[in-house]
Amino acid sequence: MPVWQQVYEEINDPDFVILCVAEDTGGEAVAGPIFDAANATYIQIVDKNHIISSAFNFVNVPSAAWIDEEGRIVRIDEGTYAKVHELGDETRSITFGNDVYTPALRDWVEKGSDSEYVQTVETVTGNIRELSFEQQKADAAFRLANLFREHGLTQKAEHYWNLTQTLNPESINFFRQNLTLSEEGSAGETFMTRRGEYESQQKDYYRPLDMDS
Amino acid sequence: MAAAFMAYPELRHPFEAKPIHAEGSTSVLYQGRQITLSDTSADKASGSSLLIKPEDLKHINGFELKPEGACYADMCIPLTSKLQVTQEGTQWFDLTAFADLLEQPYVFDAESNVWSFAEIPAKRDNMMVNGLAPDFEIPDRQGNVIRMTDLKGKKALIVTWSSW
Repeated sequence: MPVWQQVYEEINDPDFVILCVAEDTGGEAVAGPIFDAANATYIQIVDKNHIISSAFNFVNVPSAAWIDEEGRIVRIDEGTYAKVHELGDETRSITFGNDVYTPALRDWVEKGSDSEYVQTVETVTGNIRELSFEQQKADAAFRLANLFREHGLTQKAEHYWNLTQTLNPESINFFRQNLTLSEEGSAGETFMTRRGEYESQQKDYYRPLDMDS
Repeated sequence: MAAAFMAYPELRHPFEAKPIHAEGSTSVLYQGRQITLSDTSADKASGSSLLIKPEDLKHINGFELKPEGACYADMCIPLTSKLQVTQEGTQWFDLTAFADLLEQPYVFDAESNVWSFAEIPAKRDNMMVNGLAPDFEIPDRQGNVIRMTDLKGKKALIVTWSSW
């Protein structure tokens, strides 16, 4: 999260806040050191039960919403990278992210509703995902699984995590969070296969940024 | 296929076995909180409902019982005989009938006696229809409770990430 710290320091406006939310069932033990290493001064939240993703109907990380002074959402649910990231070594490397999101954010903080990046109510509500009854029920199953995991009842946790994914197969968050408990981890073969399926079906892994790059 | 990455393998099963609540209790999960109730009942015929003491309702989901109904903000749900149940002289509030009425999903684990409730859809109409930020309440790392309403007057970027 050092990149959001940098953005926060650069914007440096007392009337602008960042809530940076770690969607991690592992809690403070896994997310805390990452916040600490970033010397974060924005609002830091460790969200074991993915409450914030549920509140905004997010299904993947990173995702974001811009909220104005009146509590109106003016942008929502885009793959939210603050810059172009490069990962890898000599043999293999990947790049992801973009260089338009942060300038757009800065523009909004400066100009408010006059910013070209502020979206209409119609666009915003159109961009909020509709979740079926079953998909909403997945949140309840997920939290039940987390409770069992915290109390050492791993078989029960597994049962309700499986139910979670049956109820909301569209959630990348639930899928990958659950994989953290597997031997292969959240970015192993199972994940790569799923991601490949998304791409071959031309489904959006993230909703594309609606910004010129 | 490249080797899998797992940032914190030691945390795969990091938790110890410990009771969820005292023997005979019932727990309700809602918005990330666990509310443990010592006094509950169930529908005698089906056994698959959760009856709570009326005074516990507001601790669970913020709805308060008033003469006009179960009320939250400017919303009041009229109290019907389905919601108010009397068993052997004791008055109960049927939390599951209330959820069914509001189309609020829930999951029940009978063995452990834990009910997990998802959000009440009516609480989210303002977001889905009017594009207003949803209410939430969550502690930050310093233990301060952060509510959406606390951010009024400021612009906010709410961004999720994960370690995985």
